[in-house]
Amino acid sequence: MKRLCWATCVATAVAVAAVFASGPGASAQEVHKGTLYGDMQTVTQDMLSRAAGDGNNFLHTNGNYAQTRYYPARQINTSNVSKLRPAWVFQTEVSESMETTPIVVNGVMYVTTAFNHVYALNAKTGEELWHFKHNMGPITTYCCGPNNRGVAVSGNKVFMGTLDAKLVALDAATGKQLWEAEVADPEQGYSETMAPTVVDGKVLIGTNGGEYGIRGFVKAYDAETGKLLWSFDTIPENSVGVWATHDATGRDMHRDIAAEKAALAKMGDPYKTLGGGVWQNPAVDLESRRIYFVVGNPSPDLDGSVRPGDNLYTDSLVSLDLDTGKYVCHFQYIAHDVWDLDAVSPPILTMVKDKDGKMVKGVLHGGKTGHVYVHKADDCSLIRFSEAMVPQENMWALPTKEGTRMLPGANGGVEWSPMAVNPDLELVYAINLHQPMNYFVEGTPYPEGKLWLGGAFKVIPTEEQWGNVTAVDYDSGKIRWKVKTAQPMIGGILATAGGLVFTGEGNGQFKAYDAETGSQLWAFQAGAGVNAPPASYTVDGKQYVVVAAGGNAQLNYKRGNNIIAFTLAD
Amino acid sequence: MRPAFRLFGCLCLCLAVLSGPPAAAQEAPAKAAVCAGCHGENGVPTGPLVPVIWGQEFYYLYVQLRDFAAGRRKSEVMTPIAEELSKDDMKALAGWFSKQTWPTIRHEVPSDAQTAEALKFDTAGQCSACHLGGFNGNSRVPRLAGQTASYLLQTMTAFRDKTRLNAPDMNNIMAGSSDETLAATAAYISAR
Repeated sequence: MKRLCWATCVATAVAVAAVFASGPGASAQEVHKGTLYGDMQTVTQDMLSRAAGDGNNFLHTNGNYAQTRYYPARQINTSNVSKLRPAWVFQTEVSESMETTPIVVNGVMYVTTAFNHVYALNAKTGEELWHFKHNMGPITTYCCGPNNRGVAVSGNKVFMGTLDAKLVALDAATGKQLWEAEVADPEQGYSETMAPTVVDGKVLIGTNGGEYGIRGFVKAYDAETGKLLWSFDTIPENSVGVWATHDATGRDMHRDIAAEKAALAKMGDPYKTLGGGVWQNPAVDLESRRIYFVVGNPSPDLDGSVRPGDNLYTDSLVSLDLDTGKYVCHFQYIAHDVWDLDAVSPPILTMVKDKDGKMVKGVLHGGKTGHVYVHKADDCSLIRFSEAMVPQENMWALPTKEGTRMLPGANGGVEWSPMAVNPDLELVYAINLHQPMNYFVEGTPYPEGKLWLGGAFKVIPTEEQWGNVTAVDYDSGKIRWKVKTAQPMIGGILATAGGLVFTGEGNGQFKAYDAETGSQLWAFQAGAGVNAPPASYTVDGKQYVVVAAGGNAQLNYKRGNNIIAFTLAD
Repeated sequence: MRPAFRLFGCLCLCLAVLSGPPAAAQEAPAKAAVCAGCHGENGVPTGPLVPVIWGQEFYYLYVQLRDFAAGRRKSEVMTPIAEELSKDDMKALAGWFSKQTWPTIRHEVPSDAQTAEALKFDTAGQCSACHLGGFNGNSRVPRLAGQTASYLLQTMTAFRDKTRLNAPDMNNIMAGSSDETLAATAAYISAR
């Protein structure tokens, strides 16, 4: 059986989790105090570290520190998923784009909405325990919807990043704010939409802003006090790099290196406004004490003339030392990107075959190019890349004033949507977009916090759009199966030990597929776009699958405000 | 078909229905008096090319005043007014207007053809990615829903023709759009 050496045996971890999970009957009296299951101060580092094998809770946005989104419970499985029914529906007070992953701790669920509301719910019934609404400042700057992707939990606290670029810590039992840290200045284009990651008392968070000329970072805060512990600039003061002329797959990017060198001599290194946001969770390797994250696009997106050089570390996988925030290694997929085909979907740690067939610790990333990239974790180097999951045409034709048609469009072949892994099948699951676009370039100077694309990417309305759910063998790079969907896909995917994968669509369909074959086994119409990553948990011996149905701002899918939990019909 | 929105300019003023008094009891800044001349005593603009600013986003209003004063956004009417305002004046005005209730104005219902054209344009330009579902805006992105169609058309045309330059990416998004497309989009959004 191929598993990560740091991954916990499922059986052991389920047993551990069961010890931590106090039964609901024992705490019935406390319901009236708003503390359903014990004192809600139960999220230990040990629980967070063993989450990959925890069949009761869902403790991380992407399931566990390795970000496999592989849930170990198998009560809901291929043989009975057809009997999956809604257990409850919770309606939030915000009907706008939902990208949240529900977090479940001992029968209590924490969900967020657009504009930074947090709800604590009884995960068995959907009953509201508390509701926190962030006191939003008057200035927010974000490109693609007022999204929030969820909370992180640790000890007795719940952590959330906000649209006005703050990090807040709440009391998990009451929802009262314990501290607030100002992460960056929203007037300059910074905002927070990602769920934080908490590890060993550190709250890790990056930033949005690649469309506004920010200088990206990842920061670590003290979970107890909110004090800044370390900060890593994703754009080094020397961002020039090696003048790479080809992308990670070996294709010519048609750079005019001589013109770039001349521009560099004239204007200097553009690092101060070069973008490089990090707005998805890092994977954490507790064994090597490293984190792995991907860095987004350079600013301005489409106009490379004002940013000569490779624009390090944009469009890259980057690894840091967890304890110090110091650089360890990186791999750049596209140097000097002028298509916004950057690196967004959160990386996954899993054991992979290297080029010689030897098992090594690996990192998977679903690129906007439409490839799954497979790296060696120790030095970030590329082992292989998968077959393209979506059509690629005219790559890498440069954007023009008149518009250049190139595929994938700027929302990519895989957007921010997290992938999932089934380690037994050696498959990684991605959701894809096919959205033909024309790329236009129009140079404008840095507009000090205003949107700065340096042109436009425009969908070609006369061309067909669609999506895929794709399973890729990461040890061969071959596509195992692919299912076409009616619309481009955005939101995320969950794999389970029950041999299933769950994902939703913009038209409201939420579906379960056979992880091995791609056969559709179940579907539910949610009434609004299901464009958030699903999660799963178990309470009182019943497994649930939960997902938010709130639509999506970026692709304009029908908005809603529902959290829907499913379980098997009796 | 010429869009019906051109007819509504005068009509809407006569038929304007205010949705009750503003919730904010706070007194208007003294310098707001001059604004009422065009933007209306009760938030209903006095002319077809004047935007609704009651209930508009605070930060958007503040940035526009700043840009008028700095010459980044050109207007023979607004520039001399904004030039006389301090930053604190601008913030006070933007804050007060943002707290007022957006007036309910009667809008012409767009035709099916206009709606189809507007939806096609929204898909291409991804308008709702920033202006949000319902085109309600947020912070530095203005609310468009319920805005006068004639003002929306004027604004989109000015972006397309590069006569308004204080939001460079709007120039890029509007570039190459036909008069008909912009008129349909203005009619569609204003009636949201």
